[in-house]
Amino acid sequence: MSDESIFRSADMILVQFYIASEISRDCVSVLGEIGDVQFRDMNKNVNSFQRSFVKETRKFDDTERQLRYLESVIAKQQVPITTTSYDDMIRSSTRDLEGLANRNPPTTSQMDAMVEVTGKYEVNVRQMADTYDDLLSRQSDLLEHRTVLQGTRTFFDARLSLEVQHGNSGMNHIRLSSDVDEESIMIEESSDQPLMSQDAESMNNDNANNSEMNILGSNMSFISGTIDTDRFITLEKILWRSLRGNLYMNKVPIDEPITDPKTGEEHYRCIFVIFTHGVRLIGRCRKIVESLEGKLFEVSPDYSVYRRQLSEVNDKLMDLNSVLEHTRERLVLELKEIALEIERWKIQITKEKAVYSTMNLFDYDPTRRCLIAEGWLPKDDLSAVKSALRDVTERCGTDINTVVNVIPTNRTPPTFFRTNKFTSAFQSIVDAYGIASYQEVNPGLPAIVTFPFMFAIMFGDLGHGFLLFLAALTLVLKEKSIARMKNREEIFDMAYTGRYILLMMGLFSMYTGFMYNDLFSRSMTIFKSGWKWPSGFKEGESITATQSGVYPIGIDYAWHAAENSLLFANSYKMKLSILMGFIHMSYSLQFSLVNSWFFKSRIDIIGTYIPGFLFLHSIFGYLCVTIIYKWSVDWIGKDKVAPSLLNMLINMFLSPGHVDEPLYAGQGIVQVILLSIALVCVPWMLLYKPLALKRQNDVAIRLGYINVQGGAAAAAAGTLDSGNSGSISQVGGDDYSLLSTATDNLSAATMTSFIIEDYDELPEPFNFGDVMVNQVIFTIEFCLNSVSHTASYLRLWALSLAHNQLSAVLWSMTLQNSFTSFSKRGVLGCFVVFFLFGMWFVLTVAVLVCMEGTSAMLHSLRLHWVEAMSKHFKGEGYQYEPFSFHDILTIKQDEVNGNIQ
Amino acid sequence: MEGLFFNINDGFIEAVVRGYKNGLLSSSQYVNLTQCDTLEDLKLQLSATDYGNFLSNVSGVLSTSIIESKLNDNLVSQFRYLKAQASEPLSTLMDYISYGYMIDNVALMITGTVHERDRSEMLERCHPLGWFDTLPTLSVATDLESLYETVLVDTPLAPYFHDCLSVDDLDDMNIEIIRNTLFKAYLEDFSDFAKTLSSPSDEVMCRFLAFEADKRSINICVNSLNTELTPEDKLKMMPGLGRLSNPAFQHQMVHSDDLEQLKIVVNSVGEYKNFFDESNDKSMEDHFYEYEMTLCKNAFTQQFTYSTIWAFLRSKEQEIRNIAWISECISQNQKDRINNYIAAY
Repeated sequence: MSDESIFRSADMILVQFYIASEISRDCVSVLGEIGDVQFRDMNKNVNSFQRSFVKETRKFDDTERQLRYLESVIAKQQVPITTTSYDDMIRSSTRDLEGLANRNPPTTSQMDAMVEVTGKYEVNVRQMADTYDDLLSRQSDLLEHRTVLQGTRTFFDARLSLEVQHGNSGMNHIRLSSDVDEESIMIEESSDQPLMSQDAESMNNDNANNSEMNILGSNMSFISGTIDTDRFITLEKILWRSLRGNLYMNKVPIDEPITDPKTGEEHYRCIFVIFTHGVRLIGRCRKIVESLEGKLFEVSPDYSVYRRQLSEVNDKLMDLNSVLEHTRERLVLELKEIALEIERWKIQITKEKAVYSTMNLFDYDPTRRCLIAEGWLPKDDLSAVKSALRDVTERCGTDINTVVNVIPTNRTPPTFFRTNKFTSAFQSIVDAYGIASYQEVNPGLPAIVTFPFMFAIMFGDLGHGFLLFLAALTLVLKEKSIARMKNREEIFDMAYTGRYILLMMGLFSMYTGFMYNDLFSRSMTIFKSGWKWPSGFKEGESITATQSGVYPIGIDYAWHAAENSLLFANSYKMKLSILMGFIHMSYSLQFSLVNSWFFKSRIDIIGTYIPGFLFLHSIFGYLCVTIIYKWSVDWIGKDKVAPSLLNMLINMFLSPGHVDEPLYAGQGIVQVILLSIALVCVPWMLLYKPLALKRQNDVAIRLGYINVQGGAAAAAAGTLDSGNSGSISQVGGDDYSLLSTATDNLSAATMTSFIIEDYDELPEPFNFGDVMVNQVIFTIEFCLNSVSHTASYLRLWALSLAHNQLSAVLWSMTLQNSFTSFSKRGVLGCFVVFFLFGMWFVLTVAVLVCMEGTSAMLHSLRLHWVEAMSKHFKGEGYQYEPFSFHDILTIKQDEVNGNIQ
Repeated sequence: MEGLFFNINDGFIEAVVRGYKNGLLSSSQYVNLTQCDTLEDLKLQLSATDYGNFLSNVSGVLSTSIIESKLNDNLVSQFRYLKAQASEPLSTLMDYISYGYMIDNVALMITGTVHERDRSEMLERCHPLGWFDTLPTLSVATDLESLYETVLVDTPLAPYFHDCLSVDDLDDMNIEIIRNTLFKAYLEDFSDFAKTLSSPSDEVMCRFLAFEADKRSINICVNSLNTELTPEDKLKMMPGLGRLSNPAFQHQMVHSDDLEQLKIVVNSVGEYKNFFDESNDKSMEDHFYEYEMTLCKNAFTQQFTYSTIWAFLRSKEQEIRNIAWISECISQNQKDRINNYIAAY
């Protein structure tokens, strides 16, 4: 039991470490690698910023921020990050000394160098990234300018051609956009401007800066630019109002969204042109546009100016592009360098930060040469930890030895079950309900068998079970490669974590499916049937089978087609689920005996276990016995009507001693005796324990102890009297008071020695009223629950029936229809089989395996949490959470993955 | 009865608000904050609260303004989240809440334009909750009428403007008058709306709004002492609700020539008695805040109301003011005044 500690929590001891302050970092980091100590906060009253190592943690916080920044830039530039090669840095905890020796933490100077390097990198990268962003925004400005130039061009062209049609424009020559290939203009510079006339040239010179245009005879000024499409309407409205309609507006949407280099968001923008009169109005338009975050660009209606502007913009763009490319290359080069290392840095920083935040929990000794730490440790690992620390001390060569003291205490230790990859999933089922009290029986152990079994009773089908088994098997066989997978999806991750549960559930369902003789709702004819159908009957005639033997195992397939098969199955499964439920509850109740025995609480054995046991067994145990008895009697052979057990049970209460349909001789007397036993148990359970506790308390007071803690609170706070006379834990015998044994042992060992006593809260004095009220509640709950919990197990029957019927319906609605003779459908039948099989299989997996499986699993969960665990489980413990690098790093990774999702 | 159907639409929001409320700093947390020696300490201390590591991505030296802006971001995101979840009539109520900030923003923009401040600087100082699309364009026009006709007519504030369009030139005084006139119209409208809410939202909301109105009335009267505003002008700005809104009070208030006369009027309302009490270094403003926090605290005792949102918003704003005050005291090394914050929870 010592090394396994799955049935009960491992023995935990409180240990005090004296670590010389110069080697404290190394020591703590070794303890982190071992991952076996849960440190207690020694400075609860000290503010978080007043602790000793807050400077260091702050430094690493800053480095972490820098790393986050670098990472975000790396992600933005899409430089791949090497991660896999550092997976080995997240090593699982070890107690092996040689392994530990190889895991030297980086020295402080190494860490400082690293912090410095990251700082430098951050400055560099930030500078470059800023320049890059700056260039990008200029680039996008220029691009927008170009789009505006081109966009307005088409507009002007259309306008001009209109004028030409009207025949009142002599100034501009016809130039349709189709004449010249726009693209070619953009890229190559055609120096000659064949369509340009002298006239237009002069116009240009006059109006180049005023950007005026002659439209239909009147001189209009205009401005153009871009604006967010969704703001265009606002712009239009405001302009219309403020210019009182004296304007002409046009817009061309830009098809491509434009990325804002600052925020990285994409906006749809559109090009607009506004025509109006006069400089003042134009000025006002300009202001309004700018206030709505529009960008204004200079455009000219004149073709030659347009050409010149376009070429200018293109030149600028080309220059900018080459600069941009250079900057990017340099940035990426730098980032690649960082990307190689960043994962390692992150891991080291995380570890380092963890070390210092742990050291913040420590206390300085008065001379400030040593750090004092306290922590919980499994008793068996004490020597390993000691030798590891000795190793570190030797390696560092300090003269102050690291001292490890075991200190006796009355604090409640944390609960620690050693689990492996198989048991941990089952343990988590229990932990999700509550952490077991220290050293009470762990219901997670029996759950390994009962959980899949309860599930299987509801999910009994050989085929479905096999599918589940296969799926779980894949997860189990590929567990290593899946474990390396990052960004597992949430549901998938759940299935992965519970893969061994699924595997067991699949196996058990195959077994129950075999018992129920169900394979995808069809029955298997493995053995010779025990029933014989008569031969030579006409179609439509009802026939009766005669029994010829006994089917070797499971349900006879002859029942499958029978008319009364449902009646048979119902009665059988209902009784079966009562039996299963009773067995489940009954053995759970035995654990309370085991617990009371372990904690040496005689009062609990006599006051709650025995009456509870008698109550449950005299009513429901008796019911189970009669069920089996009824099965074993050949009622038809005896030519008697089989009595109804439900009526029997009801009448047992309503008219004791009187039996309508006797099951066996002397039934009345037996039932009266059983009933009276059950009735006696109620006051017994109600009164014995409170009275016994009160007597104990009175005795203690008479012996001179003041304020003996007998109440439930005492269990948590310890049972030691505040005097120096050692242990009086024999009085604290309430519900197997958790510590009484622990302190018993300790005080036996250190009878006269000093015992650390620090109560988190003062134990409440014994209060008879409270104890009485609690016991009344307990008694009422126990009696009522034994009825309702037994009934609750009927869900086993209901779900199993539902599952069976649903799969039968699915079969008959889909695949069964496809099996017809060849003459009826011909070759088409093949396709029908093909498609119907597909449908049947998909629905089987989706509805019957996944949905029904989930529901059956939840019901099984409930049966464990509510029906079984309520019989013995206290669940008042707290989880053992050792300081371990492995845990910190993996949890951190999971968090990161979660954030990405 | 109102509780029966409340949770269908608003239960979630109420739960979220109460969750937010529980995240407000408690007095013991404030005590911890006041013990900080540097802003870094403050950051560490705040990271243990609901704010979490909201400052962890700030590089460089911390300053009060950075902390305050981050705190404000936090408030705004919480408000937006609530608003996104809200359905009628709560969403209208939240709209109304944001109108108040809009009025402030409008006044700020106009003042800025009059003083020819930089537009982007002004926009930064605007409260994000009172943001509306055409807010930046307010910097274009220089007289109120054109502002109204071009921009404001589209905003929900338009109806509140009909009383103040007569103001011709925009100077600081007139802007303040406009602001108060707008607030008067706004508060009256808001309280009309609040009265249509189901009970007890209407009751609690009206209590808040009444205090808001009284606060404004007192402020108007105090600030307009020794100015050339006529009593009639003042009367135009006094909201028609609140405990001081009864004509007799209003008449006395606007005709007060000095603080003493005003005090007498205000003191005649029991709850407002100590507003002018200047012992303990407390200004009138502090008394207002304190009284408002009591109102908020009381509002949280009611369930099935929309007023919790208002109460939460105000409490959170107070908290931001408190943290800003504490951090300002820390950075200016004025530890003796650090305890002048108003902790309600």
